[in-house]
Amino acid sequence: MNKLLILPFLFLLCSCEEQGVLTKDGYNVTTVAQNASLKYHGAFVSTSGVSVTGEAKIYLENNQYKVQLEDFSISKGPDLKVFLSKTAAPTDFVSLGNLTSATVYIIPKGIDIAMYSHVLIHCQQYNHLFAISKLIQN
Amino acid sequence: MRKLLYIMLVVFGTTNANAQGCSDAGICSIGHAFDTSKKTLKNNIEVAAIFGKGEADVAYFSPFVSYTRKITEKLSLSSKIVFSSASGSFGTSASFGDAFLIGNYTFKEKKNKQWSTLFGWKFPFTSSNKKINGYSLPLDYQASLGTFDLFLGTNLKYRKWNFNTAVQIPVFNNNKNSYFKEFSGTDDFPSTNLFQRKSDALVSASYSIVTKNEKFTFKPNVIFIYHLGEDSYETIIGKRENIIGSDGLTINGNLITAYNINKKNTLELAMATPFVVRTVRPDGLTRSFVASIIYKMAF
Repeated sequence: MNKLLILPFLFLLCSCEEQGVLTKDGYNVTTVAQNASLKYHGAFVSTSGVSVTGEAKIYLENNQYKVQLEDFSISKGPDLKVFLSKTAAPTDFVSLGNLTSATVYIIPKGIDIAMYSHVLIHCQQYNHLFAISKLIQN
Repeated sequence: MRKLLYIMLVVFGTTNANAQGCSDAGICSIGHAFDTSKKTLKNNIEVAAIFGKGEADVAYFSPFVSYTRKITEKLSLSSKIVFSSASGSFGTSASFGDAFLIGNYTFKEKKNKQWSTLFGWKFPFTSSNKKINGYSLPLDYQASLGTFDLFLGTNLKYRKWNFNTAVQIPVFNNNKNSYFKEFSGTDDFPSTNLFQRKSDALVSASYSIVTKNEKFTFKPNVIFIYHLGEDSYETIIGKRENIIGSDGLTINGNLITAYNINKKNTLELAMATPFVVRTVRPDGLTRSFVASIIYKMAF
């Protein structure tokens, strides 16, 4: 009987995950077409204690704006998001989703792109800004 | 009355409504903590395996271990640790869920009536933001809601009837969930980015039927849970919005069948399903059917 009691404790010790249809590698990944026109770009600058390289580029493709992170790498963080922001701080922004292995992020339709001046990499869970890209019109 | 109860027994045993059920780690199971008053032995350990079917294609396995210690004739303390594994289109996510610490004070029985009160806390092991491959998961796949909750409750035992009332109040919110349906590829689950949950109030009634040889106990149970406000989340533009339809009533039916192996060991089988549900259930408490097997050992 005592052995039986050990079984649930074994369950308690494990924490695991396994990918599914909606979380498999490459799912929901988009690209930028060759004929897309570059509208804005800006190099990333890191905040203190963070290392970052690369730049953000905003393309227009078939009336759809997309952010592409080029030659991009950044220090690891627990809950990094890609924000299109009106300022250099994450106070007035549009979330483009989690920073994943994907390099292209779709900007939702209805967003007035001219109102946004920065692309930010922000850790939402601990409210810590990782990197800032000030956008320059092409 | 007995006929009615046996009909309920059959109905609860076979219904599989497509509706909301309870969280294994929440207010539904709090009534268990009232069950300690009549036990003569001081220590009680419970080991449980709980299986559930949730919204969309989510299936749950949620084992728990609990330990109850009778401090005095009137006072007992319970602790419980819950594990949760959820599987579906997002994959499988498994981890510790919550820990519970609950105190129960039982008053002296008078004229077949016995009152008891309950006070407890729920502590989350996660901030409800587990991801798979970098994809945020809806709350249905999170082992905990990430809230530190206070439980207050009272119970009246009258002959074979038990009546419970309780409230579950999220006192401190550490929910850091970042799920947006816009980025997920499915509309099955609502967005719950930086989710904030409101309190619940519970009223339940159960009736115990014990067989003549006292080997079996059947306990049909009906639970009314009212979610006392609309939950909210932060949209993709960082604005907090209420989730319309997330408040309201849930009614669950539950049948417990207990087999007393001997004076110290009991095996319990329980089945539960909801009959009335809220319009929207962003917290992931969407079990349409729950079956559990619990082994109880007193010493």
